[in-house]
Amino acid sequence: MIQKKICMVGSFGVGKTSLVARYVKSIFSDKYFTTLGVKIDKKSLSVEGEEVNLMLWDLAGEDALTQIKPMQLRGASGYILVSDGCRVSTLDAAIDLQSRVEAELGSLPFTCVVNKVDLRDNWEVDDAALDRLRTLGWSFLLTSAKSGVGVEALFQSLAERMVREKKIDAR
Amino acid sequence: MPLIRHGLADSLEAAEAEERLRQLRALLIGPEVEQIAALQRRLDDPRLRSEDLSASIAEAIAIRSRQDRKLQSALQPLIEEALRISVARDPAMLATSLFPIIGEAVRKAVAHALQGMFDSLNLVLDRGLSFESWRWRLEAWRTGRSFGEVALTHSLSYRVEQVFLIHRETGLLLGHLAFTTGILENADLVSGMLTAVQDFVRDSFGRMKTEDLEVMEVGEFKLWLQHGPLVLLAAVVSGQPPPELRQVFEREVEAIHRDFGPALQAFDGDSSAFEATHANLQRCLLGGQRARLRRSYKAVWTVALLLLLAVAALAAVRIRDNRRWTRYVDRLRSEPGIVVIGEQRHWLSYAVTGLRDPLAVDPRLLLAGSKLTERRVVERWEPYQSLDPKFEGMRKLDLEKAALERQVLHFDLNLAQLPMSQFNVLETVEDEITSLRQIADANGLQLRIEIFGHTDRTGKEDRNAQLSQARAGTISTALIQRGIPSSMLTVSGVSDRSPQHAAIETYPQELDRRVTFKVVLLQNPSSPGAPR
Repeated sequence: MIQKKICMVGSFGVGKTSLVARYVKSIFSDKYFTTLGVKIDKKSLSVEGEEVNLMLWDLAGEDALTQIKPMQLRGASGYILVSDGCRVSTLDAAIDLQSRVEAELGSLPFTCVVNKVDLRDNWEVDDAALDRLRTLGWSFLLTSAKSGVGVEALFQSLAERMVREKKIDAR
Repeated sequence: MPLIRHGLADSLEAAEAEERLRQLRALLIGPEVEQIAALQRRLDDPRLRSEDLSASIAEAIAIRSRQDRKLQSALQPLIEEALRISVARDPAMLATSLFPIIGEAVRKAVAHALQGMFDSLNLVLDRGLSFESWRWRLEAWRTGRSFGEVALTHSLSYRVEQVFLIHRETGLLLGHLAFTTGILENADLVSGMLTAVQDFVRDSFGRMKTEDLEVMEVGEFKLWLQHGPLVLLAAVVSGQPPPELRQVFEREVEAIHRDFGPALQAFDGDSSAFEATHANLQRCLLGGQRARLRRSYKAVWTVALLLLLAVAALAAVRIRDNRRWTRYVDRLRSEPGIVVIGEQRHWLSYAVTGLRDPLAVDPRLLLAGSKLTERRVVERWEPYQSLDPKFEGMRKLDLEKAALERQVLHFDLNLAQLPMSQFNVLETVEDEITSLRQIADANGLQLRIEIFGHTDRTGKEDRNAQLSQARAGTISTALIQRGIPSSMLTVSGVSDRSPQHAAIETYPQELDRRVTFKVVLLQNPSSPGAPR
């Protein structure tokens, strides 16, 4: 059995916890955030016929006062950058966050997520902003924790990339 | 000639061509040739080569170390040797470099050792005098094992419920074993959360970022964490684990590092390589049955009950004895001729002091009737004379009795007739008997008077027997004639067997020719009273 640690990072209120909650049934309550600044969930999925356990470290959102603790990133095999389509600032924050996480963990598979696609009409994030992501060479997904759009694909694709990368390493 | 010219022209031509070729060559590949020469020089010159290498060596090492671990292995002996040389040459340099961290390291080690010492001291004091610990000591001595080892196997006051082996960097679970299933299902989640909690505690409360969380207590469970550089062993323990358990965990963590070090360093989420650690974890699942935790207080209760019963029995005996004593003392108080002045009750004995008329009843006789143990009673009586009417009569009776028993009627040689000279004595005897009779009647006593006839030591024996009997009979008859009831009198002749002055060799023989009296007072069965 393969286990992988994935960190969910992003600004406060972009919907990281909702994405995880959409994906797995949690055993720990949300109050862990206020005390520990992190909540951990598990999802088993299958990649190329092999069982993979994703340990999802849902880190408390960044705001003016809280910053991600490098200690909590340690040991991750991949991460998910979450931003909120309704606030373009969260996308900028995600781009900034990516460089900090890469400095900490090195180059790892990650997926950028622009969340709340169900509210597309109210989005501040326009096509130009999405083009910017493309020019950065990032893989990104538009998701909705509310409707569930893109959620399964998000975790499945990241898991596949992590496993594949591992196999390339092994070669 | 033309041949020669021709030949000359030829050679001139060739030289020219050669020259032209050279020029052409210089034009076409001149710079490359110089470059090749320069390269040649650089390859031949070790100094230049080193310069070249220095530009790329750092990067090369970085690239290689990412690929595999051969470089580390290759460098290891070099670094060790270098360190050895450095220390040999100038120990001060390395000391200076280590100085900032060595204090912290020593402090931590000392603190750890002290904590361990306190823990074991605590335990030693705790176990110190218990019966069980001595049994363990005996077993350790018998089997040649250490006391700690024996204690660990016998300590049933704890049980390791679960052990988690956690990869330290990722917080991912490498192995998990539980004594019973079902307490925690999501071991991998717990493992991750535990890592997060540790980070949190270290960030929030740890003064040093290197301090580790070692113990957590949750209700009846303790969570013991044993940290290694690469793995964390977390054990859920119920009850009171002995400090020796910590050493077991330390040992297993060290063994896991030794056996799985490279695999741990290269860990990328595939925990199948660590299935062999189950043996290590199995060795950590120590301890006895939880049921033994609830200590049996049966013995204590039994002893307490027995003690209570004993105390109750003692109290009951004491109360009964006190009641008997009170009755006895009351009886003494009501007895004429006895005055109780004081009585005391001690733990094991009773004491009474007072005054007692010698004529009064013997307290010991009363004591026998009271059922009290005689030796537990101390009595002290001062003699006195009671003015009780009963004792007045008794005293008079005693006086009269003594007076009568002093009376002697003398007879002449070989005669049984009372001489005239003794008639007045007989009269006195008669008066005394009458008086005795009255007093005895008043006190409910029966009067008996024994009359003894005596002879002197001369004469034949059978004659003397006859004579003494006759002398007693004479007095008896005389007394009966004077109105004394014959039933009151008994007569006996004792010859010369009871001389008046047995101790004296020579005295007048006639003194032995006599009649004497003995008074006997019998308890009248119809009237109660002290026996005399």
